Amino acid sequence: MSSDYEFSDEEVDNVFDDDDMDMQDQDSDADSGMDILDDFKPTTTTTRKAYDLPYESLTQSAVEALMAADVEHIRGIFGVDASTASLLLRHLNWNKEKLIEKYMDGASAMLVAAGVTMPEPEPAPSTTSTRGAGAIRRPTRKTKQASPAPTSKKDDGAFVCPICFDDTPGLTALALDCGHGACGACWGAYVRAKIRDEGEHACRCMAEGCALVAPDVFIKDVLLASSEDDAMGEDGEGAATYVRFQELLVRHFVACTNHLKFCPHPGCTNTVSCPGAAGRSVLTTIVPTVSCGVRGVVSSISTSSTIAPSPAPATVAGGKKPISRTNSMSASQELARGKEHKFCFGCPIDSDHRPVVCGVAALWLKKCRDDSETANWIKSNTKECAKCMSTIEKNGGCNHMTCKKCKHEFCWVCMGPWSEHGTAWYSCNRYDEKGGIDARDSQSKSRASLERYLHYYNRWANHEQSAKLALDLFSKTEKKMEEMQVTSALTWIEVGVQFMKKAVEEVDKCRMTLKWTYAMAYYLAKGNQKDLFEDNQRDLEKAVEDLSELLESPIEPENIPTLRQKVTDKTVYVQKRNTIVLEDTADGFLEDRWSWNVSVDGFDAPEE
Amino acid sequence: MDARLRRVNKEIADCKNDKTSNIRIDLVDSSPFHLKGSFPGPEDTPYQGGLFEVDIVIPDSYPFQPVKMKFITKVYHPNVSSASGAICLDILKDAWSPVLTLKSTLISLQSLLCSPEPNDPQDAEVAKHYTTSKRSFEETAIYWTKTYAMPRGGAGAETAQAAKTDTRDEVAIAGLEAAHVDQFEALGFPRGKVIDVLRRLNYRGANVAKITEDRVVEELLK
Repeated sequence: MSSDYEFSDEEVDNVFDDDDMDMQDQDSDADSGMDILDDFKPTTTTTRKAYDLPYESLTQSAVEALMAADVEHIRGIFGVDASTASLLLRHLNWNKEKLIEKYMDGASAMLVAAGVTMPEPEPAPSTTSTRGAGAIRRPTRKTKQASPAPTSKKDDGAFVCPICFDDTPGLTALALDCGHGACGACWGAYVRAKIRDEGEHACRCMAEGCALVAPDVFIKDVLLASSEDDAMGEDGEGAATYVRFQELLVRHFVACTNHLKFCPHPGCTNTVSCPGAAGRSVLTTIVPTVSCGVRGVVSSISTSSTIAPSPAPATVAGGKKPISRTNSMSASQELARGKEHKFCFGCPIDSDHRPVVCGVAALWLKKCRDDSETANWIKSNTKECAKCMSTIEKNGGCNHMTCKKCKHEFCWVCMGPWSEHGTAWYSCNRYDEKGGIDARDSQSKSRASLERYLHYYNRWANHEQSAKLALDLFSKTEKKMEEMQVTSALTWIEVGVQFMKKAVEEVDKCRMTLKWTYAMAYYLAKGNQKDLFEDNQRDLEKAVEDLSELLESPIEPENIPTLRQKVTDKTVYVQKRNTIVLEDTADGFLEDRWSWNVSVDGFDAPEE
Repeated sequence: MDARLRRVNKEIADCKNDKTSNIRIDLVDSSPFHLKGSFPGPEDTPYQGGLFEVDIVIPDSYPFQPVKMKFITKVYHPNVSSASGAICLDILKDAWSPVLTLKSTLISLQSLLCSPEPNDPQDAEVAKHYTTSKRSFEETAIYWTKTYAMPRGGAGAETAQAAKTDTRDEVAIAGLEAAHVDQFEALGFPRGKVIDVLRRLNYRGANVAKITEDRVVEELLK
């Protein structure tokens, strides 16, 4: 009997582990988990809730396959090689239609712009480069150019690298098709600096004004050759940089594709595809919560500790497995680490912010952050790019900003596009003064509503805090129950821990929902709809608090069966209440039932 | 030898041997990675006759990352911050290339002095001055060159005189007309504040007619 239960517990672990590798649909994981816990079956067998969107999780190699398909498509149409096709696609941000159209208009111009070929007639050097420099800088450039031309051929002994002035006899020059030679070590260091320090995937030729982009094969050769050199530092650094390079390519592709989003969890390299939430307009009606399928922290240290221990004890012996596991890691840590990588597809929030839509959730988070010192710093030092919403820090230089991610050019002062600035940039000054007045105005208003805000904020923060405490409590409870297992030889307790674990997870999930309902309630306009919403909220809150209290009740060997029954019943009830809240709000968004007391992007302006 | 050190040493030596370009690079302390560059102001510009010093910091990943430069000498120029000396020049940012050298970068700075780019300004107030009245801008730039970029000994007589007329100094440095400053100071505002506000409002040339006195007073009362 005993080994039977041990085995099934193990199976749950294994399902999670499989998940790490092949990204099974969430349902399969839930179902097989449920097989051993019949109590929960009725509520979890339903397939997809109305508020769930279909999505698919992709590994890095799956995304690379998508990229390869696009490259193959272009290769077939244009009759160019794969390297050229991918450089062309990257240049036009993977927009195939635009590329085909532009390529048909002028293939050679396109190839030059993408850095595949040199421009045919040698243009004056100053055209591509920089302002005002021409007249005086040219002479020095001439002397420079004298050296690479003859040396780019393997001319033994004569080559002096123009970058590091290395003149070791036998040093060979590496160059792209343009012939601007440099030694391998310099190429390696240059490519590494571009990829590592600047996060740039397009490495142009080192010569000034030369727009040729190094093809992938060249980058690979240079990096892998440089890691063999002692001078280039530790072993494998070149290989690691090449891995980073491939990751940058995938990130660029994902950033350019509407229906893809990179998992925001640290170290995770998965991508989620969610065509249902590809446009911004749908975000007023749905909350596209997705998961990349991986659980826990993805890093070399934690993967070894979460995955490795589980298969080994199960196969060795049937008996004493659980204790070793709890010794290596407390249960709350395990729960926290084993958390699914849930995030919102539509906005930068890296957790489940249902039931509230992205626009309102962002408003709320911004409001909460406005009070902190960090927010003050961010506010005074950064702004969001008007095009891609990346946060940008101004770290010197002039007001002419270029977004690192989407290359959008804008003015730091007025945030308008730089192209419209022309000579009228001084209008920024006027805007600034007006902005100052507005800022002071809004400050006094927010003070008046501070009290109302605090009411919602305290409850919002409290649910987050309680969720954490519940996890701590569970780890204590689990320990206690396992001690009892040893002392009283009650073999069924191992499954008993499962019902506690399930309940704690449910409480955690519901508290997240509750947390966000406060953000939603803060912005909901007064009226019947808000009253109904708050009724649902209250019912869920009451159920969750009841269940939390049950979980804290003292555990004695004799009351475990009744406790188990109570907790299980309550968990099912809480699950139902949570579904009601989520479904009702989701329906409300589809029916356009909610109205706000502030203006939210995509919604009608509030009355008054 | 470390490639970066070899390269910087070679660049410093090259610069010493080159007598025609008038570019100098000197060590600030014992480190070859913190340098001071200097060059004469270009002929036929407001900067003619001045000697301009530039602070040079060579980053660890040089020459694959651009060198960090800013003016030590105060310069009145739309692409140079009048307060910090920070420079807005593409080759010091994303247009940097590893084949550029300290010398060629300093020459580029010299040519930046020849051809200001007021549409891509570092110092918006100076740029405003430039577009409103180029002549008035040039007068101020010449004054700055005389005050900050001329060797002390050469202008000995003038410095004695400048010390006497300290107040006019301030007005000229701000690029304003003494008459305008006097006019508002007569209303009872402190001189420093008047200069500050008039400079901010770009109270120069054709703009004087566009800005009402009430507007100036309103600013002064803030």
